[in-house]
Amino acid sequence: MLVQIAHFLSILSTGLFFTTFLFSFFFSNKDINITKLISRIYSHGFLLLLTSFLIYVYLALDDNFSVLYIAQHSNSLLPNFYKVTSIWSAHEGSMYLWIVFLCLWGFLYSYFVSYEDVLKAKSLGIISIIAVGFLSFLLLTSNPFETILPVAPIDGADINPVLQDPALAIHPPTLYLGYVGFVIAFANAISFLLNGDKNIIWEDSVRIWSISAWVFLTVGIALGSWWAYYELGWGGYWFWDPVENVALMPWLAATAFIHSLSVSSKSKLLRIWTILLSIMVFSLSLFGAFIVRSGIIDSVHSFANDPERGLYLLSFAGILVILSLAIFSYRLPLLTSNKNIVSFSKESFISINNIIFGTLIFSTMLGILYPLIYEYLYLQKISVGAPFYNAIFVPSTILAALFLFFSIDSKWQRTYKIVNTYSPMILSVILSLLITVLVAILYKISNLWILVSLYTGFLIIIRYIFVIFNFFFRSKYSNPYSISAHIGLGLLIVSIALNSEFSSERAINIKLKGNDTYMGHEINFDNLELIKMSNHDSVRASFIVNDPKGKRFILSPEKRKYFTRGQITTETAIHATPLKDIYITLGDQLDDGSWIVNIQFNYFIRWVWFSAILMALAGSLLAFSLRRAN
Amino acid sequence: MKAVRKKRLITVLVLMLSSGLGSFLIIKALDSNLDFFFTPSEIFKEELPNNKRIKVGGMVLEDSVSRNGTNIIFKITDYKESIEVQFDGIVPDLFKEGSGVVVLGYLEDKTLKAEKVLAKHDENYMPPSIEIEK
Repeated sequence: MLVQIAHFLSILSTGLFFTTFLFSFFFSNKDINITKLISRIYSHGFLLLLTSFLIYVYLALDDNFSVLYIAQHSNSLLPNFYKVTSIWSAHEGSMYLWIVFLCLWGFLYSYFVSYEDVLKAKSLGIISIIAVGFLSFLLLTSNPFETILPVAPIDGADINPVLQDPALAIHPPTLYLGYVGFVIAFANAISFLLNGDKNIIWEDSVRIWSISAWVFLTVGIALGSWWAYYELGWGGYWFWDPVENVALMPWLAATAFIHSLSVSSKSKLLRIWTILLSIMVFSLSLFGAFIVRSGIIDSVHSFANDPERGLYLLSFAGILVILSLAIFSYRLPLLTSNKNIVSFSKESFISINNIIFGTLIFSTMLGILYPLIYEYLYLQKISVGAPFYNAIFVPSTILAALFLFFSIDSKWQRTYKIVNTYSPMILSVILSLLITVLVAILYKISNLWILVSLYTGFLIIIRYIFVIFNFFFRSKYSNPYSISAHIGLGLLIVSIALNSEFSSERAINIKLKGNDTYMGHEINFDNLELIKMSNHDSVRASFIVNDPKGKRFILSPEKRKYFTRGQITTETAIHATPLKDIYITLGDQLDDGSWIVNIQFNYFIRWVWFSAILMALAGSLLAFSLRRAN
Repeated sequence: MKAVRKKRLITVLVLMLSSGLGSFLIIKALDSNLDFFFTPSEIFKEELPNNKRIKVGGMVLEDSVSRNGTNIIFKITDYKESIEVQFDGIVPDLFKEGSGVVVLGYLEDKTLKAEKVLAKHDENYMPPSIEIEK
């Protein structure tokens, strides 16, 4: 009965969202009472949807296996925490959550933004029609409320063991909050174009929303990367898998967008870029949903193949993008500024940044779609892997970092007097060169790309250290959020370079009580035990590792067999130190009783995630400061 | 007005040239870094250079898996032709005889030296062959 109520409430909310859309487009937006009315209808729509979702959460907690989706993805033995997270462990439930988040952003927008904002009513209307599109998709093609009648199964089929993990529990929600958060910027951009008054600075009001969404997206991607590393046993932080790439593209577009946004809100320049990027970020988020949920791309973790879902998503996203671009080109004259961008001003650097990010997005998109095009043209299956992305991303990032270096201390709308910053610049160039040479000699690095990357990374970090010094000791104002985020970038470049230079792995064949040596570490296979747990059996191996400095530690990787699905999973064992991770996975047992064990030395991998967190932290502090300023 | 037009023309030309050059470079990078995907039957039909990285997909042939230390040797089959694969390392948990597998590697004397072995699975993390039987 409850499930029917939840189902009905979500249909009802779809109706209210559609009403919001109609009202916002057919009544005058100048009347403040109409805006109030529209906000109310929208809020009620959201509250109905939220209630429906909360009922669904209750059903999952209550082990209501008459609901097909819950029966397929949960189990009465699961801890309550995983009963809730099982809701977003597959297509229907995660789509449901995605939509709830989409509408949540709209709700917060309607709550916090003043009724005086002339763009508010239409923005809510646009958010509503997007919500209607996705709710219809959910209810028509992927209904999570479907029931098993007349008799419900006694127990559920269980959540996939690799998804029983705290990082996975929070990774999808965070990522979704990021993806759909850009709906605010998108809706405001379209609302601004429809309105046609070029004196409205829509860029100002969406800054805080976009930066918050960007923070969620950054953290969501970092969490996914971390989860794949330690739970899936992939042993790295990035694999250029299509599903990773469809998350990276909105992130790149969003990063370019928030840079462009700060220009447009300050000086009304780059408005064309900003509008285009806002459309791009949201379209790329929709494109990601299409790629992941249609099964069109061969990926390690895409959802099951379903052409009907794919077709719906593609048509809906396609219509949205075409309509937005049509409105955009119709209103193009509105956006042109008679001010020119001054060379070597901050704006000029940010427009270069936009171009580089655009190139990266275009290349990633090509990498994802090229296999499809190629197969269609030549009837030959291909795949595009890491070498292509490295060939594009490494030089582009270095280039972007160099432009960033020169842009520090550049001024808004004024050309840049290089003399002012002469000494910190020259000093940074020399210091980072010295450090790079020192590192190269000490650690015998000869790969040119690695050295150039290290150099640019150090260049940025050292340059910002001078900025911080001037900030504190000469009280010269600089933007603390920009400093921390960009130091994050410098750190990211350095850690990725060092990681790819030093990391290594080897598979060894080892018997119980036997030992082996790898990279100066002595590995003793000490113990092997069988452990019976409530929902799985496990083989746990214990290795005592002696490092070259005489320190000892124990690593215990496992192989597990889960009862409900008969699935075998590998649990890695990781010894983390500031500089490197020692990472062991247990393979198969051979006929002679020995085991295959894989040992990896992953250098600076923690720093990769730390850099991402630093960027996200800078973003969240900026969002808080904007909140206070409002 | 003439000067303005000339300036615009130059801008447009520069834009077109640079984006054309950019696209050309990207596509060139793409073409030299492709991994071709074959079924076992297709491999022997085509003349493949040894230094080209390829992907081969199919089923792990029953009773073809043998191990030697950390090395594993098995055959991938599409039940018409099969090809021998050599790999040094740990195969994924879902790897087993009679189930789907994708191998990335180089061809050497009719043997595929594998860099990576991936087992195929869908959202429920089951090999596709099992799904079909249901």
